[in-house]
Amino acid sequence: MENLGSLALLLAFSVSIFALLASVVGGLRKNGFLLAASQRAVYGVWSLITLASALLVYALVNGDYRLQYVALHANTAMPVMYKIAAWWGGQEGSLLFWSWILATYSFVVVLTNRKPYRPMMPWVTAILMATQVFFLILNCFVVPPFNVWAIGKGIINLPDGQGLNPLLQYWTMAIHPPMLYLGYVGFVVPFAFAVGSLIARMPGDEWIHTTRRWTLVTWLFQTIGITLGMGWAYSVLGWGGYWGWDPVENASLLPWITATAFLHSVMMQEKKGMMKIWNIVLVSGTFFLCIFGTMLTRSGLVQSVHAFAVSSIGNYFATFIAIGIAGTVWLILDRMEYLKTESHLESVVSRESSFLFNNLFLLASCFAVLWGTLFPVISEAVNGEKISVDAPFFNRVNIPIGLFLLFLTGVGPLVAWRRSTVDSLKRNFLWPAIAMLGLMVGLYGAGVRNGYALMSFGLCLFVGATILSEFYKGTVAIAAKESMSFINAFVELTHRNTRRYGGYIVHMGIVLMFIGFTGAAFNRDATVEVQMGKTFNIGRYELKITELKDGENDNYAWMKAAVDISVGGEKIGTLEPERRLYKVSRQGTSEVAIRRRLNEDLYLNFAAMAQQGQGAIIQAYVFPLVSWIWVGFWVVLIGTLICLVPSKIKYSYARTQVVATGVAAKPEQHAQA
Amino acid sequence: MRRLRSIALLALLTGLSLAQNPMEFISPEIKRVGMKLACLCGSCRNTVGDCAMIACGYSLPARQKIKRLQMMGSSDANVVAKFIKDDGLKVLAEPQTQGFGLLGWIMPGLMVTLGLIAIGVYWKRFRNPEVAAAPKVDAATVEQYESRAAAELENLEK
Repeated sequence: MENLGSLALLLAFSVSIFALLASVVGGLRKNGFLLAASQRAVYGVWSLITLASALLVYALVNGDYRLQYVALHANTAMPVMYKIAAWWGGQEGSLLFWSWILATYSFVVVLTNRKPYRPMMPWVTAILMATQVFFLILNCFVVPPFNVWAIGKGIINLPDGQGLNPLLQYWTMAIHPPMLYLGYVGFVVPFAFAVGSLIARMPGDEWIHTTRRWTLVTWLFQTIGITLGMGWAYSVLGWGGYWGWDPVENASLLPWITATAFLHSVMMQEKKGMMKIWNIVLVSGTFFLCIFGTMLTRSGLVQSVHAFAVSSIGNYFATFIAIGIAGTVWLILDRMEYLKTESHLESVVSRESSFLFNNLFLLASCFAVLWGTLFPVISEAVNGEKISVDAPFFNRVNIPIGLFLLFLTGVGPLVAWRRSTVDSLKRNFLWPAIAMLGLMVGLYGAGVRNGYALMSFGLCLFVGATILSEFYKGTVAIAAKESMSFINAFVELTHRNTRRYGGYIVHMGIVLMFIGFTGAAFNRDATVEVQMGKTFNIGRYELKITELKDGENDNYAWMKAAVDISVGGEKIGTLEPERRLYKVSRQGTSEVAIRRRLNEDLYLNFAAMAQQGQGAIIQAYVFPLVSWIWVGFWVVLIGTLICLVPSKIKYSYARTQVVATGVAAKPEQHAQA
Repeated sequence: MRRLRSIALLALLTGLSLAQNPMEFISPEIKRVGMKLACLCGSCRNTVGDCAMIACGYSLPARQKIKRLQMMGSSDANVVAKFIKDDGLKVLAEPQTQGFGLLGWIMPGLMVTLGLIAIGVYWKRFRNPEVAAAPKVDAATVEQYESRAAAELENLEK
């Protein structure tokens, strides 16, 4: 099996090199035979990597402990779901997973785009395959997944494996990495199209129309992946945090931020023919940040809770990134004439300006996160002394930026293209602004003294009100004109321009998430050693340990504390926080118990047995409003899916001015909304 | 027998391993100082003040040390200074606002400033002065269009 797996990977490596060369030579010589061969080679690469992946998964599920990877990341007692999840649970397997997703994306891209985008496709294929070659070099020669245990020429078959890290044996962890990888790897596609259009000297914005949906889908996967990771941290790590500003967490956030900036600034290119260079830079930056994030997780460059291992693999990534960035920069400089701006700005108070500021602050946030992540390494390299940068720094820097972005979320979509008049500003923003100020004054009167919390709640109301008023005005107009019910008119309105109203729904989801984030300003916690039958209080809750239970299964032994919860003397439920000891790894974990409500979560962690007598040390937390983060996520998800639905009415926008020469977009070429 | 062994191990993990009762080192005073110090155990990114691992290999001894120094009358600043002396600057949860650490704080703000300048330059470069000038169509035509737009808007809202 190991021979077949290794052979499949080596063949995939060879075939992907062929696909790369054939597409480049075929593209240069306009040789249809070579181009067709390169496309078929892409399908071949997918088949071979799929075969290798299937063999590894088969080995994991069936416990082939001759393989080092299987022995280190699976064991007999693990449920099948986690045995499959072990595919991406370690360095070698996860890189193979990366390659497989890339091969799958490449397969789909070539299959669906080979005819409509024929001139661009050789170069798109070349970029995809160049990336594939890089990852297959790692799979075949640097961190091969099919190594066996051996002494001399004898292969050793171990009786059982070590198993997956117990912290990863949680349902969201089974789907969090695939989602994140679908996001990470997916950003290769817009990059390939952007670079492909530059190499092919294709005028206009064709690559943008092609890749907007790709970008949105991969952005969605990235969003799902990040949120699942937050959910996992909240439910598993035992301290109730959902974001710790760990370097690996930050690595997933960085490309998400730049992709978000791209999804906004791309509208400037579609509707105004502006920011063309910037969009190429953003797409390229997103791609390289994905590769950089993958490097951070694996190289040991920074200390991280989530890092796979310290290895020399970082050098390969650094080389790839350096070559890639150099090539992209050269290409942009060389093709500058194809990236000329077609319009002009007319007023500071305009949608165009809001996009400029949106991009500035998104990028500022991205830089702050990147800077904070790398600052320990930089300080050690420059100063000889490592300086830690933990959550307090990131919160201090990013909260103001986040609040300004929240403000723009409300203002941007309602400011008109080209210029806005004072009257229209007043019409759109007067009442939301009054409501915002009213809420802030009210909260201050109610005793809220945290400045950021006041601003955040106020802005949430402001943005929420502007979005709802947009929906309301549009729905009422359609309901009156088409004689529809309010609900039907609402659906009609959204369907007529899914991109616009889906975007509003995404913004509403972000508002809800901000409400959840802001709740953290009012968190309460207590760590108490409590004897059986005794009570303790946190917030309005009275907690009493009524029972300590224990047991075991094949995978782990467990202890549970049954904690009765009362409010005002009335029992409202029982929570059972648990501690586990995984037998093979001898690693302990906490299984927290959470009473989730929209106003606040009660969160209990069984930290330890009491030092004396029958009791336990319980860490109790009250997290106000935290559930709105998960509610907001679902709203973002729905909004993004709506954005992906084609609009009922095709809007087209004539460019106001075309100043470029022959290489610029054709005047009749309109951007589809 | 196997079950007994597992439960004994779990008990060891959850209770007996805590040779010194960690509850003695949980207090608002200790937490106040602990929030300024990074937990360097390598398993989390919390501060000593909010590290949730009750028997953490770094945070628990750090809390003990904070309590000991506080009992000796050290101020918060002196406790932090003692940690820096013993463990270096990496023990701080965030960079200092002096020396090389200051660069950590300045750079994000500097980038925002540079970004604003870039927007200013972009604005200057791509601003269309002609659009700001008076419209080239005559006033009557503009008025006609405006009244037509107003009528259509009114119909839309009916």
